[in-house]
Amino acid sequence: MPTVGNDVVIVGIGETPVGALPGMRPVQIQATAVLAALKDAGLTLRDLDGVINLDPYLEPNSMFATTLAEYLGVRASFLSTVDVGGTVTSMTMVQQAVWAIQSGHCRIAAVAYGENNKTGRPSGVQGMMMQNLLGGEEWEEPFGMQGLVIPYALLAQRYLHQYDAAPEDFGAVAVTTRRHALRNDNAQMKKPITLDDYLASRAISSPLRLLDCSLVSDGGGAMILMSRDDARKIGVRGVGIKSFAMRSTHNTVAQLPDIEQLGMAAAGRDAFTAAGLGVDDIDLAQIHDAFTISVAIALEAFGFCGAGETGAYYRSGAADLGGKCPVNTHGGLLSQAHIGGMLHFTEAVRQLRGEAGARQVEGARHALVSGNGGIFSVCGAMILEGEGRR
Amino acid sequence: MSDLPMSDLKAVLPHPTNVSKPFWDACNRGKLLLPHCEACDRLFYYPRVACPHCGSDRLGWHRSAGTGTVFTFSHVQLSFFGKAWETQLPYTVVLVDLDEGVRFLSRLIGDDRDRVTIGAPVACAFRTVEGQSLPFFRLVG
Repeated sequence: MPTVGNDVVIVGIGETPVGALPGMRPVQIQATAVLAALKDAGLTLRDLDGVINLDPYLEPNSMFATTLAEYLGVRASFLSTVDVGGTVTSMTMVQQAVWAIQSGHCRIAAVAYGENNKTGRPSGVQGMMMQNLLGGEEWEEPFGMQGLVIPYALLAQRYLHQYDAAPEDFGAVAVTTRRHALRNDNAQMKKPITLDDYLASRAISSPLRLLDCSLVSDGGGAMILMSRDDARKIGVRGVGIKSFAMRSTHNTVAQLPDIEQLGMAAAGRDAFTAAGLGVDDIDLAQIHDAFTISVAIALEAFGFCGAGETGAYYRSGAADLGGKCPVNTHGGLLSQAHIGGMLHFTEAVRQLRGEAGARQVEGARHALVSGNGGIFSVCGAMILEGEGRR
Repeated sequence: MSDLPMSDLKAVLPHPTNVSKPFWDACNRGKLLLPHCEACDRLFYYPRVACPHCGSDRLGWHRSAGTGTVFTFSHVQLSFFGKAWETQLPYTVVLVDLDEGVRFLSRLIGDDRDRVTIGAPVACAFRTVEGQSLPFFRLVG
């Protein structure tokens, strides 16, 4: 089973403000997030000897970990830039940090991502009109396929058909997630939405409406990792990594398998088995929500509810604060900000430390962070464990 | 949904590789070719250097009948290619399950495409854009 190692812990989390950060470039945003995470851990830049990041999607940069290390004045003994896909990149950065620390390549590692997806975008460009390519252009662009909205629309249409689901099911995810964001001061969206607002939001690519889609955001997130022993020595609370598993099935939407063949179920099965836990042990689920359909596919693959039942699951209040397993308590990519899933992690850590304030999940001990890159092309599940109450 | 006159149909054209050139050249002759693995006797799409089923590089081509059913579709209401593509809206992207068992991403054309449903029968309909024939699909039956 794919273990990661419980002897390295997350000791610091940092977020920049999200939304529009004019005048900031990706390296400043990532550096700001790393500084915030170090401060959170009671550490300084002098302590840092590992730097792991993702370079900006909008303006792909070579050697971006080295760029960030130089900018921070860090002479690192471990550097890596990771791009597996979506939130699986964040998980893989954490995994690399654990392995680098375990194997003595560094003692204290920062993992970071952030960029100007909102203010760095040429005006009039919709969606992920990115300079980096996803590899399937030859088989997609001749047919009008560009970016990631259309692929998710194709998946959502199939879901509605296959499970006899309705747009209201996606709407339940959007409305609940917005409610969560309103409890988060660092969220782009400040107004509640109703199911009627959802249904009235404009058509983007059928069946997806505007309120099915995640936000476009400037912002950054970072985490600091060190060994559990070192953390104990300096009196810092850590959040451990119980397990992590990923699975790829394809990349481009031209190769989209059937929903039940996507890799999320297999990744989840491995992650839960390795952790020795089941879905009922999860207090908090942080699920990559690039689109409302993303949440449905993931929750159903893990078995939080049956196939096609996500709408009913949300309407029952299960995903709400105080529900059976709150989902995306920070407001997610749909209503907080889209920082590639880094803020799914910072929120999970905050919750597991009992520091989430008005949105604290009572007694949170185990969090599932899950997500995918591309169009469920690579799926990942990571289970985090807090130390419980002190 | 009324369809565009053929002269107004936009497409970002492929840049064929040595591996994919036979596929695109065949389109220009009105033929839809699928890569065929001579080792495991299976078809796949898109063309590549080894069979994704068994890994063999003993590959040939199979002429597809170009018929299949709709696996899923989306009517695109917003241009992701900038202003120039607003003339195309709404257009319909489709994933077709070809009768030979291969899934194929394409664009659905024809005035009747707002009636598309999952499972509907479709057939390949070549259209030429700037000198390259492209395998679009249309509803049949």
